[in-house]
Amino acid sequence: MKIRNLMLQVPRFLLVLLVIGLTLGGATGCKSKKKIAREQAAAEYASRIEQAKKDLNAILNDESTWTLKEKEERLAAIKSWNLQDEEVLRLIDLVEDKLARERADAERKAEEERLKKAEDERVKSKASKYTSIENQLLSIAAAPDVATANAKIAQTLQLFATPDAPVLIIISQAGGFNDYDRPTTIRRYLEYLKDQKVYNNAIEQVKYDASGKITELELIKK
Amino acid sequence: MSRKTIILAVFFGLFASLSLSAQDISPERKQAIDSLALEKVRDLSKYISIIGNKSTPWSEANRVIDRAEELFMAGAEMGVSSLYQSDVMYFKVRQYFERLMRLNYDRVEIEWYKIEYVSDLQRQPDGTYVGVITIFQKFKGFDAEGNLVYEDTTKKDITVYVKRKETQIGGRLIGFWDVLLGDIRVKETRK
Repeated sequence: MKIRNLMLQVPRFLLVLLVIGLTLGGATGCKSKKKIAREQAAAEYASRIEQAKKDLNAILNDESTWTLKEKEERLAAIKSWNLQDEEVLRLIDLVEDKLARERADAERKAEEERLKKAEDERVKSKASKYTSIENQLLSIAAAPDVATANAKIAQTLQLFATPDAPVLIIISQAGGFNDYDRPTTIRRYLEYLKDQKVYNNAIEQVKYDASGKITELELIKK
Repeated sequence: MSRKTIILAVFFGLFASLSLSAQDISPERKQAIDSLALEKVRDLSKYISIIGNKSTPWSEANRVIDRAEELFMAGAEMGVSSLYQSDVMYFKVRQYFERLMRLNYDRVEIEWYKIEYVSDLQRQPDGTYVGVITIFQKFKGFDAEGNLVYEDTTKKDITVYVKRKETQIGGRLIGFWDVLLGDIRVKETRK
């Protein structure tokens, strides 16, 4: 009976041992995996901090070949990592300031470029629009003698509604505000070109009447 | 003078100078009127050479005298000197141009050079800008055979007045800078 009882107790004991073993063994394995995962996460975090510092310093010291857009994308990626490193956070602040300045500078340059292009277009279209009048004025200034100049003056006056049509000469422009020389008339201005033998203005604006004759000429100093 | 009076004088002096600088124009506009005044003197230089040129038709010379006279303030005088006399004579500008047209040479060459500011345009309390431009005039007179019979070089100072004015043109109010030349004084005459 005793032996039989003993035979029955052995498997139970083995079973208990097995359960203890499995329990202890399983817990130890899980603990080791978490540790590895923690270590991996820590290593990845440290690596991101290093990468972030490297990239941010490269942006700050202009040592990268990235465009402004690429720099901004890089900064956004670094910020999305939520790194709580004091040095990285300081560098992010500095880079944000630098990129804001670069963005403003780029926008200013783009605006300047756009305005210059618009001005070039305006000057170009105006130049071609007034070429024939400009040529008349130049020919008077370049006339070899008084008789030739007078003939050209008479010819040019035909373009105007009256020899007394006003001529305004802009000497400076600032903030949409014009400063003029003393106003004159077209006859006097053409005679001025004949006397001084120089035409150093450009046509800014021409006003016409219903019959296509010029009623006002606005010039600007070159 | 009491201390109170001195303090008041200093206060009003400061206030006046601040008001004056507030009315000053930008450097770009100032440069534009500086250049305009120099250009008027260069224009006069060209007019004088046309008036003095014996080959200029009489009617043309008279027209140019009108244009040249318009460059000056009313009553402005021109100084005339010679190597043969120590005194400088002053004529009203119209009289000077008419004498220039009738000079007793067969050919005259008049050239102005080194035209520059000797005293920059300065704003006066009434808003007029006043400056002095200096020029050197080279005069040469030739006889019928083309021989040079007289020549001199004269340094002259021209007072310039620039004032902002307004006029209506085509229903628009146009603000312009009116440059007028004042007296032209002889500073030095040499061969």
